[in-house]
Amino acid sequence: MALVLRAKFRRWLRGGDDGIAAKVRRKNQINDIIWKSLPSIRLSLLVAGYAWMLAIPLPNLGRNTYIDENALQPGQVNTYWNWPHVFRADRYLESLEQLRDQNSTNAEWAGYIKHEFRDLGIHVSTQSYHFTNASGEYNGTNVYAVLSSPRASGAEAMLISASRVSLNGNLNLRGIATVLSLAGYLKEYSLWSKDLVFVISDGYLEGMQAFITSYHGADEPNLDADPLTLSSGVIWTALNIDYPGHSFSHLGVFFEGLNGRLPNQDLINSFRLVSTYTGGVPVLLYDHRDPREVPHLESQLSIIPTWLPDVVKKQDAVREYGFRAKNILKHVGYQARGQTNGVHGLLHRFRIDAITLFAVPSSGPHGFHALGRVVESTLRTMNNLLEHLHASFFFYLLVKPGTFLKIGTYLPSVILVSVSMMFTGLGEWTDARWYEDLSKPKATDKSVAASGGIILLERPRPVLQALLIMLATHLAGVALFYIRTSGFAGLHPETTSLTLCALLALPPLFALIVRSSPSERSAPIASILKAANLCLASTVISVTSVLNFSLAAVLAVLLGVPLSYSSYKSALPAKIGRYAIYVGLGLGWLFCEKEVQRAIWNWEILGVWFAPFVCVVYTPLVLQAGIVSLLPS
Amino acid sequence: MRWRLAIITYIALWLTSALAAYEEFHELLTFRPLSDGKLAARFTFTTSLNGTHPRDPSNLADEDQSQHYTVFPLALGQVLREYAVTELHLNLNAGKWDYDHWGYPDEPGVGTGAELWAWMGESATRSVDERWKGLRNALSGQFCASLGSLDDQRTTSPELTFRPEGSLPSSGGAHRLRHGTLPSEHVCTENLTPFLKLLPCKSLSGIASLLNPHRLFDTDWHGLSVHVRYLENEGIEVRLSFQSVFDPVRYTGGRRAWSLQSVFDRVIDRSCPVARSSEIRVAIPKEENNAQITPDFHNSDGEHAIFDVLNASKPLDVAMNWVNESAFDYNTVLSGVPLTHISVRRTLKGSSQSRGRLAVSITNNMPITIQTSYLESMPWLLQFYLHTLQVHSNGVSRDDLVSIVSCIPSVPHARPTLFQAILTLPPKSTLDISMDVIKPFLRYTEHPPDAQRGWDLPPAVLVPLLPANATVLTDHPELSLSEHKMDGFGYPIRSPRRMYTPVLLVDLATPDFSMPYNVIIMSCTLIALIFGMVFNLLTRKFTLVRVSSEP
Repeated sequence: MALVLRAKFRRWLRGGDDGIAAKVRRKNQINDIIWKSLPSIRLSLLVAGYAWMLAIPLPNLGRNTYIDENALQPGQVNTYWNWPHVFRADRYLESLEQLRDQNSTNAEWAGYIKHEFRDLGIHVSTQSYHFTNASGEYNGTNVYAVLSSPRASGAEAMLISASRVSLNGNLNLRGIATVLSLAGYLKEYSLWSKDLVFVISDGYLEGMQAFITSYHGADEPNLDADPLTLSSGVIWTALNIDYPGHSFSHLGVFFEGLNGRLPNQDLINSFRLVSTYTGGVPVLLYDHRDPREVPHLESQLSIIPTWLPDVVKKQDAVREYGFRAKNILKHVGYQARGQTNGVHGLLHRFRIDAITLFAVPSSGPHGFHALGRVVESTLRTMNNLLEHLHASFFFYLLVKPGTFLKIGTYLPSVILVSVSMMFTGLGEWTDARWYEDLSKPKATDKSVAASGGIILLERPRPVLQALLIMLATHLAGVALFYIRTSGFAGLHPETTSLTLCALLALPPLFALIVRSSPSERSAPIASILKAANLCLASTVISVTSVLNFSLAAVLAVLLGVPLSYSSYKSALPAKIGRYAIYVGLGLGWLFCEKEVQRAIWNWEILGVWFAPFVCVVYTPLVLQAGIVSLLPS
Repeated sequence: MRWRLAIITYIALWLTSALAAYEEFHELLTFRPLSDGKLAARFTFTTSLNGTHPRDPSNLADEDQSQHYTVFPLALGQVLREYAVTELHLNLNAGKWDYDHWGYPDEPGVGTGAELWAWMGESATRSVDERWKGLRNALSGQFCASLGSLDDQRTTSPELTFRPEGSLPSSGGAHRLRHGTLPSEHVCTENLTPFLKLLPCKSLSGIASLLNPHRLFDTDWHGLSVHVRYLENEGIEVRLSFQSVFDPVRYTGGRRAWSLQSVFDRVIDRSCPVARSSEIRVAIPKEENNAQITPDFHNSDGEHAIFDVLNASKPLDVAMNWVNESAFDYNTVLSGVPLTHISVRRTLKGSSQSRGRLAVSITNNMPITIQTSYLESMPWLLQFYLHTLQVHSNGVSRDDLVSIVSCIPSVPHARPTLFQAILTLPPKSTLDISMDVIKPFLRYTEHPPDAQRGWDLPPAVLVPLLPANATVLTDHPELSLSEHKMDGFGYPIRSPRRMYTPVLLVDLATPDFSMPYNVIIMSCTLIALIFGMVFNLLTRKFTLVRVSSEP
């Protein structure tokens, strides 16, 4: 019985006697179905992608962090940092406060710190630097000290730094005092397997940028810095200490680096364990406190809209969602712009895993005592490393301290949007090849694909013109970048922005006078342009998603719908309206003066690729969609 | 019965004394307070085998004479004779020697890690390379060190830098140098135990009883070395030496006073009975007159306080104290001038895993022009682009200051680079040499365990040379660049002042070894897909099929 059924099923599968023909027929049918439902497939992919993005902060997603590198053994040591060392830190602090009150110069600060390091018997030196960019000049003096560990060959090193200016803009006096006191304390031990490099960098980011690029001999065109006279080995890990307040309640961890690079998650995880269990200090992501822990500040801290009814707002799941979403949004804000939120971010590009410990200002209860113990134990953990932190712990999305999303749970959201765009582009490309033949009443040619009595004929596609338009927009993007970063733009930002906006937005309007092609025998340029535009945008998004997920997600949100639904089949007023929207989307950022300046500063001083990326990739892609809507059908 | 026993005892005693006449054992411990509050200590155990000479390599095919020693270490003697080694130097060090603040070391071989070099005569029966391989394996077993890894990929013969310290026998063929360094080798207790076994009194009595591994391996710098040399008309000399740099300030929490008890946690309770001489010498600081050495020393040569351990009252605890110094003040010494003629810094610039730039900066601290030899014996893990060599003196390009003596390029997977040059250093100036290097791609089996650590690269070695016109020397007596001083036994120490740079760590492109499973799955899938497609195309039969629109 079973045999008979199987034979019948096989015959059905083969399509009776005419096996191969049936197979071909079935294939055509499937193609037909896919082709007809393409618009709904595109739409559902797009919706699924966006829904996935919204689902990322859901409370039941994510898993607890764990230590991947077994050598780390965080929190397994006794710490000996104690009140005498806190006392010393207090003395340093007093002297530093004097320097602050006397409005001392950079050189005086450096001189004092250098003297103190030398008093401790640690080799110390200073480095003066001078940055120039369109908006001004930055001078300063770094102090760095190298403690050659007993017995160590000096081929590996750990870096402990404090910048003079904290990431919240205040002076980081307590951070510097901590580093000085730690240096004297750590010198008393012979257990370090790596050299310890202490850096007190001037300014906020500039000082460390000058130090670390000189250390690695990297060329910086607008930097003029003294060569370093002391050297150590390869730096593996780094801790940056940022303690601007009087006391602190939590230690916040800042980790995003330049161009969206992240440090190995093991470093953050070990620090969290050490801080929680050795130091007794709770850890935050950034300075975000959980609104549920401080009910009187809940309205201030929470990002859940106030107009929501209390029934929804007070749900624990909703509050958890809001808390996680706040962390993720902050992360995306930093990572997408390639911006760092502390000195640590400058080190990542030299393969140094680094984080900033930010002592969240508060009236208590912690101070030097807790911070010293946390740093000591974290350094002991880093000291255990036999090799660079490696493995796959570079792709993660921390949603709250101790919980993270693996790459597989967040990456597909962007990829779905990108796939939908690619399908739209390919669909447009295929569509452009065929046109409906209205002249002949009936199909006679069997080679022509026929469906529902409509006869489709092949026609050539003007690829070259479309590609030239794209090339022109990208070249315009390059010009935009150079003009906006020039010295003139630095002096007259608003005039330049207006002029640039006009220069870029007006020429495409000439597309309106392009006459529609006389016959349907040639595909409209608009459709080819749209196809190429979507394919390029989709590729950019999917490639970016592995390098910088946040940037890819922002691109997916900004480009996904506008590019997929650009249309060239509308009347003149609608065309102009659509074009205006695209111009707003593509060039509107020119008028966010502060953001533009920050992006340009980041590019010129730190080499962040965000500004050129927006000018050369993002804006042209949107303008191409705008041109599509202007071109005749 | 009794008289027979007496005769045997008498003959035995006579034989021993007769043999002992050919063998001498001397021990010496020198202390040198360093300018940054640290304390350099060097143990030297010298055994000389008088009236003998190294085995002639041409007789290697014949059976060797039998070996009878009383104090000379048999285990080492057998190795030396088996491979007919004329001169041998083995250093096992940990730490980074700070030339600027510690000056020249008493034992010049202070490069981090293991270093082995030997001069051997050529032989028709067993080639030098064959014996070199045997030698390093034998020593590897003898000293529990991974010297077996000093294979052809790390062996060079830099004859300009490593001259023989003794004499080479005129009989037999020409002598050849073999030299290898292994910077990632760590020295620890397992190396000290076999080292102590070579001593006649082990660590039971005499100066050697101070060799307390708990303290020695906690020092800032420590290294043990074995030196064998042949001195014409005298014989073969084996010098076992242990050198270390203590940090008394770290132990005492601020003061640099020290004693045998405080640094070794031991004192000398009894002397070694077979030692011909046994001395402790403490260098007397020149500038400071508040230094106080206790107990009263027996002798002094002006620079050193000398204690004769054989005759001193036991237990002997030598101590040094600085009167009226409650805490050591670093501030004055760390800003002082460097204690060596030149200061060297070598760094590897660049952060990519495919190329970089090797930068060496050499500062001449002297007011006269001096020359120095510069040696890089670099494994093929870093390959030099010699044409990119740039030389700057105080920022001005000066290619004329470097003359390349020899450069043997590396052969991947087989041979290291040997680069020797003579540098001319203008007075009080800094010479910057830099060169592009490429980092090769390794076979995956060539990666060591903990592959992401990178590779340690051996130190460069510089030897400051005598100025061309020796008359300058009379004006600057401090400029004598090789030590012609006599050591404690009247032997001239002919060792030149070699300077080793710190080792480097190079980051090569490394696969993620933690994911071999994923990699295997990925590559198998790709191969399966490709195979499937190709197989499908190859075996498919193409026919014309007419498809009607309706089935």
